[in-house]
Amino acid sequence: MNRHTGRMNRHIGRAVATATAVVLVTAGCGGGDEPAVGDDGREILTIALWNYDSTPEFAALIDGFEAAHPDIDVQPVDILADDYAEKVTTMLAGGDQTDVLTMKNVTDYSRYALRGQLASVADEAADLDQSKYLSLEPFNLDGDYFALPYRQDFWVLYYNKAMLADTGADLTSLTWAEYADLAKQLTSGSGQDTVYGTYHHTWRSIIHSTAAAQSGGDLIGGEYGFLKDRYEMVLDLQDAGATLPWATASTQKVQYHTMFSTEQAAMLPMGTWYAARLIEEKKAGSIDVDWGIAPLPQVTEGGPVTTFGSPTAFAVNNKARNSEAARTFVAWAAGPEGAAAIASIGVYPAYSDETITETYFGVDGMTNDEVAQAAFQPDEVMLEMPVSEKSSDVDVILTEEHELIMIGERAVDDGIAEMGKRVTSEVD
Amino acid sequence: MAIHTPIDTVRTPVPGGPPPGAGAARRLRRRNTLAGWSFILPNFVGFAALTLVPVVAALALAFMEWNSYSTPEWVGLDNFRRMVGSETFWTALYNTTYYALGHIPLTLVAALGFAVLLNRALRGVRFFRTALFFPYITALVAVAVVWNMLFNPDAGPVNQLLRAIGVDNPPGWTTSTTWAMPAVIITSVWRDMGYYMVLYLAGLQTIPAELYEAARTDGASAWQRFRHITVPSLRPTTFFVLIMLTISSFKVFDLIQVMTEGGPGRSTLVLSQLIFREGITQGRFGYSSAIAMVLFVVVLVITVVQFQLQRRGER
Repeated sequence: MNRHTGRMNRHIGRAVATATAVVLVTAGCGGGDEPAVGDDGREILTIALWNYDSTPEFAALIDGFEAAHPDIDVQPVDILADDYAEKVTTMLAGGDQTDVLTMKNVTDYSRYALRGQLASVADEAADLDQSKYLSLEPFNLDGDYFALPYRQDFWVLYYNKAMLADTGADLTSLTWAEYADLAKQLTSGSGQDTVYGTYHHTWRSIIHSTAAAQSGGDLIGGEYGFLKDRYEMVLDLQDAGATLPWATASTQKVQYHTMFSTEQAAMLPMGTWYAARLIEEKKAGSIDVDWGIAPLPQVTEGGPVTTFGSPTAFAVNNKARNSEAARTFVAWAAGPEGAAAIASIGVYPAYSDETITETYFGVDGMTNDEVAQAAFQPDEVMLEMPVSEKSSDVDVILTEEHELIMIGERAVDDGIAEMGKRVTSEVD
Repeated sequence: MAIHTPIDTVRTPVPGGPPPGAGAARRLRRRNTLAGWSFILPNFVGFAALTLVPVVAALALAFMEWNSYSTPEWVGLDNFRRMVGSETFWTALYNTTYYALGHIPLTLVAALGFAVLLNRALRGVRFFRTALFFPYITALVAVAVVWNMLFNPDAGPVNQLLRAIGVDNPPGWTTSTTWAMPAVIITSVWRDMGYYMVLYLAGLQTIPAELYEAARTDGASAWQRFRHITVPSLRPTTFFVLIMLTISSFKVFDLIQVMTEGGPGRSTLVLSQLIFREGITQGRFGYSSAIAMVLFVVVLVITVVQFQLQRRGER
């Protein structure tokens, strides 16, 4: 070894040691808990949300909030809607510090809250006028609140006005039997040109939550006989060719928006959230469908209108960097100002009063006939899935068994029996 | 007898330093050891932080109850008891084994077959080799989505072809509990065979041409040459391929997650998915670590058995 290489080795050794030390030090003290502040001196507030570009309510809320709080810079953390729950779960498990988390449904909410991943917003909840909210209660966990709802969705029946014009059906008080007949009647064409009478998306809620809400069944109770009628109706429509088969919709990942907006389906039971997208795309000229909204069909005629739905809420991450700003945002979005911001783009808010309703139906492009007005006045909105520690385990089982019934590998009765058996034996 | 490493024998005097001697040699050795350590350290730190610690932690977690927020609680063998009593676990274990038993032999045979076929001076051989390797470098999600379309029971080309050749009632593929796993296996064989084919091609290059010439002179048929020269000579490659395939089969996750998400029902639910679902989705990290341990032991046992068989075969 000559002098030169000896020195070079020393240099390399020192360089490597220094690099290692730098890596160790930066790894050890990365992050930091002080509030994040941007270059312009404004506090940075990060919000986990989904499909920012195609979910206009987020931009409406963020713009409105920033206008009211010029010292806060809201930055969206955009996540693909389909992966949202899993992504947020993973983020939280890894100690992520995103300030505000959007709670897509109450099941996920209860899971995060029970795990201690969300900060209490009981003080902010106490300041709200409870009488103005359809569903504040689902967020009450033993007297404490960990999220506040900003929008209220429930299921309605979307329909193609042109296609239903000649049927003479009274859409304000449709029963499921009448709905099924109508769907068969509206089906036409074959092959690529088939127009289905209705489209049932692959979610089990279309059957499970509807049946539970309208017949008083309990989805986590372990007794599922109440699902039978709805299953039989849906399978009958599928066999009659009046709706796209579940298997096709599932394997081809068919989008309900495509089915309805390109007029391949005349009706579509779906949540109120869908209206905003129809309004926006129609305004932009990308779709042309003449759509309307009717109340969700009921089991019997003349009774109270019961539907199901789920409030969407904002929560403060327990590890938020800007906890104070996060609380301000959550309370603002749940209150009248947040409600006004989203009602003005056709999204139904959690908070509602006369002004808000007026704003909502006054939106350019919103359907506001008598049928639509009726659709937005359900007598009761039940939760899509009861909030319980068991919910997510039960959800897995019900989804698996639902698939088997829908692809015809299990008879309805057997599937229902299996659901009960598995929920009783596998969920503790 | 003292063993002299090259380092020991270095006696280059450093200008201005102490005269060469025992002390200098020791210093030099220490310095070299230090340099060696500092070369390994960055990599080792990464390995320790990202692999070693998590693996050991997972082993410990298998005996605990933990939801990633609470303090882990020691529960002894509870997680394993729960696993033994869980029908879903046995279903996942069965499905994983089913997948492995389909994926390993089919991929191996296909890879070997194509390698032998494409190891000759054929016209366009490079094109075919590239074409076969192509699926392996294609994004897995794209592969899964496209195959899902091909397997569409009504309008998919696979069933259209089957109908055209007279199969009246073609399988429901991913919409059928019976055919979902074969569909996944077919897709994975198609995707992986190119990679293993390249390994076999490399192995084939090492077989001396004289062996074939000698066999031909002795009048051996093509099958006899394949059976008695190619296959035995490829034994080390086959062993490597087998181990790699076994490990990759038992930890299969991504392809199934995108293609079927474990469905319909639980018909394609595999252990890795169950680990993911119980841990990440349901927050039962203890239980999911216990399942991960079982998966680890299964793969370890199979690999050890394969090593033993290989060693016996060499004797």
